[in-house]
Parts: sequence; C-alpha cells; structure tokens
Amino acid sequence: MKNLVMKNPVMKNRALKNLVRTNEFTLAVIAIVGFGALAVATDLNLLTAGTMDAFLRFLAVPIVIGLAQMVVLVVGQMNLSVGVLTGFCAMASAWLLVEAGVPAPFAVLAALALGALVGLVNGLLVVFTRLNGFIVTLATMTILEGLRYGVNGTGTYQGYSPGLRALGGASVLGVPVVFLLAGTVAVATALFFRHSVPGRRLLASGGNPFAARLSGISNDRALVLAHTLSGLLAGVAAVIVVAAFGTVNASIGDDLLLSSFAAPIIGGVALAGGVVSVTGTVLAAFLVRLVDVTQAQFDINRRWVDLIIGAVVLGAVLLGRARDKLTGGAR
Amino acid sequence: MSIVLSAEKLVKTFPGVRALDQATLTLTAGSVHALLGENGAGKSTLIKLLTGVYRPDGGRVLLAGPDGPQEVHFGSPQDAQRAGVGVVHQERNLIPAFSVAENICLQHLPRRKGLVDRARVRSEARRCLELLDVDIDPDTPVSRLSVAQMQLVEIAKALSADSKVLLLDEPTASLTGDEADRLYAIVRRLRDQGHAVVLVSHKLEEIFAVADTVTVLRDGRSVAEAEPLARHSRDQIVDLMVGRAYQEVRLPQRTVDPSAEPALVLDGVSTSAGHHDVGLTVRPGEILGLYGLVGAGRSELAKALLGLEQITAGEVRVHGKTARIRDVGDALRRHRIGYVTENRKEEGLFLDQTIARNIAVTVWRRLSRLGLVRDRAERALVADYTERLGIRLASPDQLAGQLSGGNQQKVSLAKWLAADCDILIIDEPTVGIDVRTKAAFHELIAGLAEQGMAILLISSDLPEMITLADRIAVMRDFAVAGELVNDHEYDRMSQAVIRLIHGSQEAA
Repeated sequence: MKNLVMKNPVMKNRALKNLVRTNEFTLAVIAIVGFGALAVATDLNLLTAGTMDAFLRFLAVPIVIGLAQMVVLVVGQMNLSVGVLTGFCAMASAWLLVEAGVPAPFAVLAALALGALVGLVNGLLVVFTRLNGFIVTLATMTILEGLRYGVNGTGTYQGYSPGLRALGGASVLGVPVVFLLAGTVAVATALFFRHSVPGRRLLASGGNPFAARLSGISNDRALVLAHTLSGLLAGVAAVIVVAAFGTVNASIGDDLLLSSFAAPIIGGVALAGGVVSVTGTVLAAFLVRLVDVTQAQFDINRRWVDLIIGAVVLGAVLLGRARDKLTGGAR
Repeated sequence: MSIVLSAEKLVKTFPGVRALDQATLTLTAGSVHALLGENGAGKSTLIKLLTGVYRPDGGRVLLAGPDGPQEVHFGSPQDAQRAGVGVVHQERNLIPAFSVAENICLQHLPRRKGLVDRARVRSEARRCLELLDVDIDPDTPVSRLSVAQMQLVEIAKALSADSKVLLLDEPTASLTGDEADRLYAIVRRLRDQGHAVVLVSHKLEEIFAVADTVTVLRDGRSVAEAEPLARHSRDQIVDLMVGRAYQEVRLPQRTVDPSAEPALVLDGVSTSAGHHDVGLTVRPGEILGLYGLVGAGRSELAKALLGLEQITAGEVRVHGKTARIRDVGDALRRHRIGYVTENRKEEGLFLDQTIARNIAVTVWRRLSRLGLVRDRAERALVADYTERLGIRLASPDQLAGQLSGGNQQKVSLAKWLAADCDILIIDEPTVGIDVRTKAAFHELIAGLAEQGMAILLISSDLPEMITLADRIAVMRDFAVAGELVNDHEYDRMSQAVIRLIHGSQEAA
C-alpha cells in the first residue's frame, strides 16, 4: 500500500503516454520543430552567438509578463494593467536613477515594490468593491497610462547607471543574465504553486471557491495575493527592461498586453482558474518570440505577426474547451 | 366527474436509483388532488415527468381530448404547457425586471407584424389574473411584488395557456398563514371553475383542509391511488407514507456515556439565516441526527456553526467553552469542527486536482517545512487515509473528478479526518450512492463515533437516520420541533419523526 508509485513497465508506459498527451509536450514539439525550421531557413544564422543572445535577451520580458498574467488567471481573474504597469515601474526607476540620483540597487527595489503595491491595490479593490477584476484593472491601467507619461512626458531616459546596464547586457556562458533571471523567476513561480502553502491555496481557491471556503481557505486573501504577485512580476519585468534595453520611455509596455495573455493561454492555463502551467507559459512565450524573430528575419509586415498571435490565442482557447469536453466525460 | 389526466405505470430511473417504479396518478376535473410522500418518494420526479422536464422510461400519460383520452409525449416544458398542463415549481421562475403581464404571457407572447403586441399582452394577463380574482396591476415590474403576489403571478402564468391541469409544488412554503389561506381560497375557486389541481405539500393540516382526493407515493410506487381523503385519518396517511416493509440493517450497538462532557452544545441559538432558539447537544462518541424536510434549515445551521452565517443570539459551546467561530478556518483550526458537505462535487472537492491535494488541503501548513509542503509527508498521509477508508484509486495523483461517487465522498471525508477533527458535521452522506457503498459508509460513520468522535448527521433519508443516529432532532421551519431517543425500531421511530415534521402534538 505504501508503494504507490509503481515501477512495473505497464505503469511506466502509461506515464509516458500521459506525458505525450499533455499540452506542454505538444508545445515543446512545436517549439523544437519551429526553432529547427527557422534555423535552417536562416542558413543557421540563428545559431550564431550574437543572434542567439538577442533571441534569449528579448525573451526575458515576455516570459515574466506571461507569468504575471498567469498568477491572476489561476484565481479566475485578469490583470489588464500588467503591460502598462511594467512601463510605469520602468519609468519610475529610471527617474530615480537619472533625476533623483538614487543608487541602482534601490531603484531596482523601488520598481519591485511599486509593482507589488499597485498589484496590492488592484487586489484590495477587487475584494472590497466586489467588482470584476477585468473592470478594476481596466481602470488602473488607464490611470497608470496617464501616470507613465506624467513621469517624463514623451522624453527618453538613457545613460543611467552603467553598472546596471552592464549587468543587463552581460552573459554567462553565452546565456544573457536577464534570461537567467527570467528563468529563475519561472522556477520560483513553479515551486511556489507546487510546494508552498499559499501557492496551493491559490490553486484551490481558483479551482473551486466554494470547496476552498469550506476547507478553511480565504478566497479574498487568495485574490489579494494573486494580484500582488502579478504586480510584483510586472515590477520584475520593468527591472529587466531598464537593465537590458538601456533606454526607457513612456511607450514601454504598450505591446505587452496581448503577449501577457498569449503566453499563459497558449500554455494551457485555464481562463476559469485553478490550473497552472509554468512550463507551458514559458514554452508559449518562446513560440511567440519565434514568430517575432521570423518576422524580423524575413521582413514581414508587423501586422501579420499580431494577426498570427491573435489567431493562435483564439485557437488555443477553443482547443482547451474541446479538451475539457473530451476529458469532462470522465466525471 | 370526468378524468382529465391519467398517468399509468410511470417508470423513471436515474443512475443507481429507480426514482419512480410504476407510479400511477389519476386526476378528475373540478377537484383538488393531494400528492403525498416522504423525501425521495418520487413526488418531484412525477411532477417533472408530467410537465415535460424529464421523459419517462416506461408507462404512459393520457390526456382528455375531444375524442376521448389520448396518449401524449411531452418533449419539453413548452409542450406540456401547450397541452394544458400548467405548473408552479417550488423555486421562483419569474423574470424580476419584466412586468407582471410580460411574465404571465412569456411562453407565448402575442405578436403583431413580428413585434410583441403590448395591448394583447396586457389584456391576456388581465384575463388570467381575473380567473384568480386578484388585484395586481399587470404593468408592475415583478421585482416590486411581495412573495405572496409573485406566487399568484406564477399561478396566473401557469393558467395562461388555458390549462385544465394545475400542479402546485409546495405553494405555501414561503407564505405566512394568512397568505396561505388566501391562496387556498383561490385554489378552491379554480376547482369550482372545473380545473384539476394537484397539490404537493408537507403541511398535512392544509392538505386536509383543501384536498378532495389523495395519492400517496412510497419508494416510487403509488401506495394509495386517488382515494377520497375523507376516508383517511391523519395517522393512516402517515402510515401509508412511511410503510412497514423496511428491511433494517442493524449496526453494532454503541454506548454513549451520558455523563461525558458534551463536545458541542447549541444553547438557544438564533442565526442570520432565520433559525430561532435552536438547542442541541452532541457528546463524544455520539451521533445526533438532524432530520427535516428540504428547506427546514439543517444545512444552514451547519453553515452557521462554521461562521458562514451569523449567530445573532444564544451561544455555541465547544468542549464546554464558549466558541465564537468567525470562519471555516476558525472552526477547523481552533475548534476542530469539520463539515462534510452535501454537494461533494460543487462544494466538497477540487475535481481538477489530485486526490492527494484534495485530502491534504486542510493540513498543508502542518506538512510543510520552511514554507514548502513536503511531498513525502503528504504521500504518507494520503496513503494512510486511503487505506483506512478503503478509497479505491489507481494513484494519489489521479484527479478527484475521475473517482466514483462513493470514493469521492470518502475523499471529502478524509480531509477532515486528516485535520484531526473531533466534531464532524456530515451532510447527506449517501445521496446518489449505490446501496452497497451506502452500507459500507454507514459502518464507517458508526466506526468514527465508536472512536469517540462527536457527529452531527444531517440526512433526509429516514432509514439512514434510524440506522445511524443515537438521538434524532427534527427541524421544522428553522427551529427544532422535537428530539427523540432512537431505539432503532423503524416503525415506531419513523412514525414519531413524521408526526413531528407534520406538526402533530402527539409526538413521543
């Protein structure tokens, strides 16, 4: 009875079958095939150190922003303000560096704290007004949009903290530091949902709020925590922007909203809540990046990229619903 | 008198249950017909078959027509309504923002040139309201009406298609005495106009005051068919409802130490849900049964104990100490009270998550070190409880949604045992569970009491109650109507319980 993990070949076989059936497996196959195809199509130019470095460097923000959206999707919420919040935090920390002359570590911490604070406010508003998170974050998004321009108008900050920018441009064994940072954040997020008590409670609350409440879990606390984490992750994305891009202006974050949804939804996270997939989200961010690079390589009109990503998101949602219907029969 | 509708040998089965087993109902014009039976006897199923909500698996329904009786098949509630069978269900079916007139004519809005003909909607509604002789302005939005007025609008709506048959399911459940009297005056008026009215009610005094004939259902069969009510006494009717053929299963006798300090005491408790002056006591090792009809306030009382409803008067004592329970976390962690819910799928389980997580959800904190839940500790705990409760699973990583009903119920029980609860509220533990698993579950619950747990058992299944409980408290209208010491003699106990429910004074 204790030996519940059976080690006979039949079970191994079934485990393999189950793995093949997962959304993550499908995504991994598509990612590998797509990456291979693009590498061949570019005469292996993609695999040169410089191109690879850029590929991964610009993958960091999409991964983190996708995770920022994922943590609220887990409790059945949405955060429309993630993109603009990233831009606002980036502008605020650049202002601290340039105008206020604050040392880089403090500016970084300030960006993180600001993100978490806005997330906390989002969460508290959702809990206390009982308004849908969609409406609340639509409102905060609009407010933040204004504030983002309020920091420095349409001006650009650059030439700040050489140390921070050097770190943003550095690589370890050919892998950009900012990508490593995004990877670390992803692993931490996965661990949080898999092993920490608050993470599991978020999942429980998102999966079945009635059962969660009757198991002694506070759904309100889950909502506040999810929004705060979402804001914190937007702050992390802002730090990556400030460090890796070297220049910051008020238009940062404008193009992040769609990709923040694209990564988790293509990655198999349920809009209704209760399901989490860090691996899926990261792989989906990788795929979106692949589409971006393809566009740049072949000089395709930017509009087509948006169209493709939009279509893939729609397809992923429909596919998820079809899968629910198929597996739902087992209940 | 002419027969308007006759249902012959209707059969309806749901997975694991035969809800109706050759039930028969005959209705004559110009009479009020009572349909009686215990919880689960098949009343609601019969009504749903007659109104096209369900389709019968066997038997037939005949409706009087111009050329004699004709067999009818209702594919939908609209079919039934069109054929002249109107119904007022127990739950409200009105659209609050629409006017009274629009609600009455909703199923067949009169049209002119493709648009709704407002003048005719109004005149049609007025005609229906006149049948009832009530004074309600057809233009008022339904949201502004009182509960009693809404009930009348529902009846007018049911009559709007020239219904010859009107089915009323517990029409007075939410009405005051005066309002109920007025409603029954209207029922008599409809009878005198030649309608056949079917009345489902658990209030026997009302039945005796207004009904002419009676059909009693028991275990899905008609044990009395369209008999004149005047021929029966109230006790005879109760006997018919309860029956004497029950095969009882005896569990080993348990002994409760009457001097032991009670684990849970409710002393004159009133709640925001509407309970008044509820007094109950449960000792360690004892099963206190809480019986009553659906809507008597039993589950709501359980929720009040968990802090989901406010306690407005009186006090709750846990192991002798006054307890102020603010939420489930409080109940669980400070007072070790667990609640196995009635709807395991909706409220008890996380169907999309693993069995392991479902069981360990109450104790993650205890299983964690440095803020992380230790997988090995979780697995050991889960293995322990799956073995103790005999939960059959392929692996603890299986999703809870993939288990059978009985095993799901065990999982939702296991999480409270894992949390070391010593007071357990178990709400309708065996609904939708097959007979053999049910017996195993009864042994399991009795075993928990044997080990010293204090159990508050809520059940609408009278045989289950008489098998398991040490004492049975009967709830009616959010108050305790009486408490009985259970001697496990089915006939005597069931009659005593049913009398308490129906408000007789002669209760044991």
